[in-house]
Amino acid sequence: MTFVIAICVAVTFAVSIYLMLGRELKSVAMGVFLLGHAANMSIIAMSGSPVMTPDEQSLDAEAPVHLTAVDSPQMKDPPVLAERYTDDTPLAQMVDPLPQALILTAIVISFGVMAFLLTLLVVTNRKTRTIDVAELAEEARKQ
Amino acid sequence: MTDHRIILLCVIPLIAGLISIALINRKALSRLVGVASFAMMLGLSLSLVLKIAGAEDDASSILVSQMGGWSAPFGISVVFDSLSGILICAAAAVGLGAYVHSFSVLDPRTERRYFHPLMQLLMLGVNLSFMTGDLFNLFVAFEIMLMASYALLTIGGSVQQLRQAYKYILLNILASTIFLMAAGMVYGMFGTLNIADLARIVAEIEADPSRDLPAGFNALAVLFLLVFGLKGAFFPLWFWLPDTYYTIPISIAGLFGGLLTKVGVYTVARLFPLIFASDGTSTISDGVMLGGTSTIIQTILIVSAAFTMFLAVLGAVSQHHVRRILSVHVISQVGYMVFGIAVMTGNALAGCAFYMIQHMVVKCALFLCCGVMEKHAGTDDLDKLGGLLKRDWFLGVLFFIAAMSLVGLPPLSGFFGKMVIIREGFAEDMWYLGIIGLVTGAITLLSMLKIWSYGYWNPDIAPTTAKPDKVKATSKPAYLAISALVICALFLGLGAEAVYKVANRAGAQLENPEHYITAVLGEDAYAEVDRLIAQREAEPSLVGDAELTLAAPEPEVSP
Repeated sequence: MTFVIAICVAVTFAVSIYLMLGRELKSVAMGVFLLGHAANMSIIAMSGSPVMTPDEQSLDAEAPVHLTAVDSPQMKDPPVLAERYTDDTPLAQMVDPLPQALILTAIVISFGVMAFLLTLLVVTNRKTRTIDVAELAEEARKQ
Repeated sequence: MTDHRIILLCVIPLIAGLISIALINRKALSRLVGVASFAMMLGLSLSLVLKIAGAEDDASSILVSQMGGWSAPFGISVVFDSLSGILICAAAAVGLGAYVHSFSVLDPRTERRYFHPLMQLLMLGVNLSFMTGDLFNLFVAFEIMLMASYALLTIGGSVQQLRQAYKYILLNILASTIFLMAAGMVYGMFGTLNIADLARIVAEIEADPSRDLPAGFNALAVLFLLVFGLKGAFFPLWFWLPDTYYTIPISIAGLFGGLLTKVGVYTVARLFPLIFASDGTSTISDGVMLGGTSTIIQTILIVSAAFTMFLAVLGAVSQHHVRRILSVHVISQVGYMVFGIAVMTGNALAGCAFYMIQHMVVKCALFLCCGVMEKHAGTDDLDKLGGLLKRDWFLGVLFFIAAMSLVGLPPLSGFFGKMVIIREGFAEDMWYLGIIGLVTGAITLLSMLKIWSYGYWNPDIAPTTAKPDKVKATSKPAYLAISALVICALFLGLGAEAVYKVANRAGAQLENPEHYITAVLGEDAYAEVDRLIAQREAEPSLVGDAELTLAAPEPEVSP
């Protein structure tokens, strides 16, 4: 699972950098938007793979019935919960909530930044009749 | 020591910002709210700094407030130690100065475009960045500060501003994204985001010979250095700064030049000596890292400091506009601070802290002087300036004191910062950095004299329509702000001993994480590290083995 997310992060990053290098400010803004998503996905990947749900466990016959962070080395302990891990509590089925809280905050912030950037784009277009980087530079040189 | 008053330093600008949104069309009232907010921040931070300066030992001189009563590694801690304290004081003073200055230079239409709330929200972000004890909260504080700075950068919306703003905004968004990922990586590696908890874990791993820091730790440190280096305008990452500061209204340029780069430098000073500059093998004695073990990060910092100081000052000499000279000088002075951090002894960090506050005050004063110069002459091009000393001798005196403080002529403030940093550099065998620092100081003098002789001493009066008396009459707030900042700078120079009492404590607290950790996490948080160190000292064989393994491969290589 982590591997899949890692590939997603890499592709998203590549696309977003490609867009940000574009000449048109619209594509730059889209690149910025994607960049935020890539960062959020990378936090998910780095915070450890989610614990499998009971359905998935039954599909995977090899896996032990109660898959906890302690049993499985590739899973990370959720540090907030680690000390209370026991096989018979619902906590054993939980994913560490903190990275998701981080991502939620980051999404809200990137939303605000995006709103600002798009507003700036509109203002630029009104003032200079262009949203092309080279033409904007030309316009600025004239003044 | 718990003291919940410290969070007021964030609450005051927040409330003042919200009030001034409501008062956006009432100029006098919103100015009053703004000045009151800055004055309250200044008064509160001064009283808190005096309180911690009077505390008897290092441990009780760190004020902590746990937000919402959640205990330390789980909740957000807000920490007010000596470094944060003096920086917040200086930030409030600089903010007040730039704010009052704006009354006389800012276009009234620009002022109505939410200038007042943005200033307050910028201060909220800056204060929170200086105080927060949590890495993710630091990210949030940065975003608050950056958002306000984006808006202030484009305020008025001239085409030039818009063009430069994209560069600044995109670079900062990229840096913020990397910061976010790095914070995620920290959490993945150590399971904590609390700075004190992180310092504790790293110190424990270092003290324990059987454990190593996680793989990729240095990569993580480099990511953080990239982020903060971009905000602080360190050597290869400083290209955005001169163009950006050239286009914005001069009061805002003064505030940015004084404040924003320092936030980046502060975070490096806070995080790197404690956490990221260790490679897990450095010698620890009594919890203090001994000098001499140069890590990869330290090497990067040294190279960056040298190039930042020297290349930027050369850039400043080559410029011919006052604003550009001052902007490029911001970078050069940041080099001295990185120098102080790279040396990484307590004294050097104290020098760095002192240099940061004096530079905030002096640089802001110089930018504000430049604002009045532009009012007199209508331009900041040195070729067209001249005869300002005859027109306005008072401004000349203020500018001269500020410029010489920046250069660092004794007994002015810059001298004491540079002296301590360079002396420590020589003491730690970084003589090359010391020499570069001295040469940079000399070239700084050259470029400041350039402004002085072209602008003030040059006998030709520039062709300008502005009458000197009229300019003086409309610039009263500006003179008030500049004089106050210059008096602050004089105080920092003449009263350097008193300021260094606090700065030395800041340096000691940065060098030795024990007090910071126990203040945030509780009395017994550092016990494990102490136990491991005692254990290691009791069994010198382990250390001996490590040295043997290091020394062993050499004979095989030499034939």
